[in-house]
Amino acid sequence: MPNFRQLQLANQRKTFGLLLGMAVLVFVVIYAALNYFGKTGIGLVPFAVGMALISVWGSYYASDTIVLTMTGAREIQSSDNPKLFDLIQEVCIASGLSMPKVAIVEDRAPNAFATGRNPAKAVIAFTTGILDVMDRDELQGVIAHELSHVKNRDTLVSAIAATTAGAIALLSDFIMRMMWFGGNRDREDNGNQNPLALVASLIVLILAPLAALLLRSAISRKREALADATAVAFTRNPAGLRRALEVLQQDSTVVNQRSTAVAHIWIESPLDQSSVSKLFATHPPLSERIATLRAMEANPNLN
Amino acid sequence: MSSTIIVLGILALILIFLVASYNRLIRLNVSVDEAFSQIEVQLKRRSDLIPNLVETVKGYAKHENSVFENVVAARAKATTATTVSDVAAADGALTQALRGLLAVTEAYPDLKASTNFLSLQEELSTTENKVSFARQFYNDNVRSLNQSVKTFPGNLFAGVAKVSARDFYVVDDPQDRKAPNVKF
Repeated sequence: MPNFRQLQLANQRKTFGLLLGMAVLVFVVIYAALNYFGKTGIGLVPFAVGMALISVWGSYYASDTIVLTMTGAREIQSSDNPKLFDLIQEVCIASGLSMPKVAIVEDRAPNAFATGRNPAKAVIAFTTGILDVMDRDELQGVIAHELSHVKNRDTLVSAIAATTAGAIALLSDFIMRMMWFGGNRDREDNGNQNPLALVASLIVLILAPLAALLLRSAISRKREALADATAVAFTRNPAGLRRALEVLQQDSTVVNQRSTAVAHIWIESPLDQSSVSKLFATHPPLSERIATLRAMEANPNLN
Repeated sequence: MSSTIIVLGILALILIFLVASYNRLIRLNVSVDEAFSQIEVQLKRRSDLIPNLVETVKGYAKHENSVFENVVAARAKATTATTVSDVAAADGALTQALRGLLAVTEAYPDLKASTNFLSLQEELSTTENKVSFARQFYNDNVRSLNQSVKTFPGNLFAGVAKVSARDFYVVDDPQDRKAPNVKF
């Protein structure tokens, strides 16, 4: 039976492995590009990485304000909801984090998220729905899950994953375009190339963006599993979070604004699960998360 | 020539590793101190709630003198404790006494329905949780420190840095996590 420490370690290792996988993929794509186009390919690499960096870095750096605007969350003070602030303070003490900003999203669907580029800039937000349906222990579990994202620096991890996936997509896109419009000029340099290697490079370039997206989704799922385990490390009460997830499972309402851009930050995916393949899902299925928490409940060793 | 560079590089890496391990040990030691002061902050908070709580309960349950005396005595003892084991023992005694007080309130429906008591109960409940999370955070930090002090490379520096294994904060109470819990 796993305890939260083993689960935390396992998920940290898996994220590391997946990020390593992404790095390898970047090298494979660069290699394929060079193989296919010779020297022209190499100039594109810093360009693609630079563009991906610029586009992701801005949203990472200002994640607290951007996400609050995109989700329509409104920051509240402790006088607006003293009980909620008490609960958050409890988990802050358990985690050693400083008090984050707290925000509310007017929405009947129960959900919550955390964002911000570092613990000092952290924001956690709750829908009015989740505050209505959950009791103290359940809400404590949800808060612990969100603060786990803060502690584990998941905004940074997902920004890294997004940058890498973005760079791969851009690179592959450039090269595909060049192939149609200007490819012949360069191919003459590589006249003695093995045609089989050229075909293989082409296949790599076509499939790379898809592989990058799959890796990115897998990283997001591991971070969610890690946040569940870390939440148990904070509260030592797997039953609270488990019951909270069961409430989310039974609830069929979905957060109103279905912007896919911020789908990954909610505790429960706001997107229609059935329409998304499991491989592209940003969250592990709720039933799987509940089962893992149940296994932790059965484990008496909570210290 | 190139072999000198390699040797220097390896030496530099070893130096960085040693400095980092030394700093880690110091950092862990400081965070144990910080975690302990967090416990004290939360205990103080709880202690400040008690006079008001006792007065409120007294208003409805005049004859439960022994319970009040227990709480007041335990609170007085808790204010003088300084070492980890003394603070923990006093904390445990006060937790027990408070539990006795709350058990008594069960017999007084009027008291339980009074708004003053309800708001106190929420405060007491969150404070109990904060105290117990502060203890847990302290013990987690002690656990990391002790592990580091006893294993390589921390054990190399423990003496030089004057950092040693610390005592866990043990409250002698099997019901520790089952602090009074109010649903809202």
